[in-house]
Amino acid sequence: MKRCLFLLLMMISMGLSVMAPAGVWAADEIKIGIIDTYSGPPSSYALDVLDGFKLAVDRINAGGGVLGKKITFVTRDDKFKVDLGLTAAKELIMRENVNLLVGTINSAVSLAVSDLARKEKIPFIVTYGKSSAITSAKGHRFVFNMNENTEMIGKAAAVGLAKRPFVKYWIAGDDYEYGHAVADGVWNHLKKIKPDVQLMGQSWWKVGEPDFTPYITSILSAKPDAVIVATGGAGCIPFLKAAKNTGFNEKIPIYMHTATELSTLRPLGLDAPEGVIGTSNYYFYYPETPDNKQFVDEFRKAYNRYPSFGCLIGWYTGNFIAKAYEKAGKVDAEKFADALSGLTINTPIGNLTVGQHDNQLMLPMFMGVTKKVPGFDFLIASDIITIPASELVSSPEEIKKAREQK
Amino acid sequence: MDWFSTITSGGLIQQFIVGLSRSTILFIVSSGLSLVLGVLRIPNVAHGSLYMLGAFLCYSIATTFGSGSTGFWIGLALAPFCVAFISLVAERTLFSRLYDREHLMLLLFTFALMLLCRDAVKMIWGSDYRSLAPPEILQGSISTYGMLLPKYNLFLLSLGPFVAIGLWFLTQKTKIGKIARAAAVDRDMVGAIGINVSWVFASVFVIGCFLAGLGGALVAPTQNINQGMDHTLIMEAFLIVIIGGLGNVWGALLGALIFGLTDSMGILVWPQFSIVFPYAVVVIVLIFRPTGLLKSTW
Repeated sequence: MKRCLFLLLMMISMGLSVMAPAGVWAADEIKIGIIDTYSGPPSSYALDVLDGFKLAVDRINAGGGVLGKKITFVTRDDKFKVDLGLTAAKELIMRENVNLLVGTINSAVSLAVSDLARKEKIPFIVTYGKSSAITSAKGHRFVFNMNENTEMIGKAAAVGLAKRPFVKYWIAGDDYEYGHAVADGVWNHLKKIKPDVQLMGQSWWKVGEPDFTPYITSILSAKPDAVIVATGGAGCIPFLKAAKNTGFNEKIPIYMHTATELSTLRPLGLDAPEGVIGTSNYYFYYPETPDNKQFVDEFRKAYNRYPSFGCLIGWYTGNFIAKAYEKAGKVDAEKFADALSGLTINTPIGNLTVGQHDNQLMLPMFMGVTKKVPGFDFLIASDIITIPASELVSSPEEIKKAREQK
Repeated sequence: MDWFSTITSGGLIQQFIVGLSRSTILFIVSSGLSLVLGVLRIPNVAHGSLYMLGAFLCYSIATTFGSGSTGFWIGLALAPFCVAFISLVAERTLFSRLYDREHLMLLLFTFALMLLCRDAVKMIWGSDYRSLAPPEILQGSISTYGMLLPKYNLFLLSLGPFVAIGLWFLTQKTKIGKIARAAAVDRDMVGAIGINVSWVFASVFVIGCFLAGLGGALVAPTQNINQGMDHTLIMEAFLIVIIGGLGNVWGALLGALIFGLTDSMGILVWPQFSIVFPYAVVVIVLIFRPTGLLKSTW
């Protein structure tokens, strides 16, 4: 009996000690709810974002927090599913009383949570969703996108590709929203800049296609001048592998948006094909500015690896949040949303501004070509050209039109 | 369809060969599934997880031995045995208690096992993407008669017949194969004449899982080794087993050939809608032969 009582007391005191900080801290903290895909193939990107975010938040908290409050966060796994993401968002708002929502690599989840955020009047900051609808057609006051979107990818690729002599193109990609959105984006803008381009044919594969060899050999038979590959995430790696194994990259130039990103090239090691054209928003080795070097050093010290674009997204999202609260002067959803819109902060890739008319972060884009370079045990981008954000973002008129159309 | 004119006979043969190499992998994995399905009557949804484990183990073993050519060969040789060992443990501790249960229970059980495997892989290997280079002599491709044939695909292709002959020998010529076939027809009768059915089942299960591991180790150099591998493959493997005839290893061979070849030919003929072809064939087969092309053991 005594033992039972003792156990009971233990349990109560443990329960209290767990609950205590939550009760005491509640007034002194800014609580952020993060929803992202922490299982399955996309988790590689989501964890990069989280690591970058942690790094920024830890530094902000070490410096006394924001408005005298510490920033805390809780995470939820949406398993890349819309219903789970939406349930998690509701739970975070109702039970955890979060001040902000952050996250989602799946554009469909981003759009669903964004709709909830609009109704609940809670700011939602998208970290890795790439659909342009997030901030254009379905944009609103409380949703922000910290990543480049498919429209920007299309414009950047078109600007870069128009400078090259290719005329006959082949388009190949993932048969889902991202693949088609990127392909359409690139093609429509390219056609506008360079009207004499021709589309020879298209191949579409299912997401998670394990072997691209049959697709590549069939494209080789058609002999186009260049191929636009619209595949994202886990598919980039087997595609580049198959390209190397078939010698595809030596016969036909390939453009693939994420081909030069660290997340794609690091796992491949020296087994990646050279000469593949890719666009990216961030390279840890470019631009060679003190700000970038400092970020890379700090990140490497904390996690013992090079930061990818996802890590940078997480890092500046944390800093944007802190800066916006500082500007708002109090923890208030509407004031925060107004403060973040149009805000500029300094980042490793220079000053970045959140677009005032659409809440889309204005990111510049870098186009480079994969190359083996001594000193790295994976390929990096070379011959990098910068496409400024001003050439990529949608104008206020375009946004207005897109929002009216829905 | 202006790209139609671009299809040459060389391109056709090239596409055919690439399709055959894909069929080989599908055959290796789905024959294992079919074997387990036929003899043990277990619809093993976790078969894809064992395939994924095979790929991850091959990667880990290969990188431990320096990720060069020798590393790869050691990985390829050891990984399937590691998978077989894991499956032996699983069979003795878990599956052997469940043989008398109904199929729905077994389906749920193997489904749970699949989820557990996925999380185990996440805990052990993390969520980073991994990639393994093929050994030096199998890198690149051979170009003859205007065709481009990746060496690794040719290597896969050459393995197919050995696996098929090995399976034929095992099921038709060895004692255990004969007992297994008999046990598939009437388990109680085989037990009644004094044969330890339990161990026969264990061996068949382990052989089936070995094939899954072998398939995984073989595809490791061509793919992104990640957590989603199991789920892409298990769907295709089940479709192949169903169109071939449940539990029939030769049906798996036929199904894999049909699936792999319609896939690669579809890509050549109509790349925009190629995803549909293999599935359309599955539908057609099932309309005309609902029990599969060859005799089902169920």
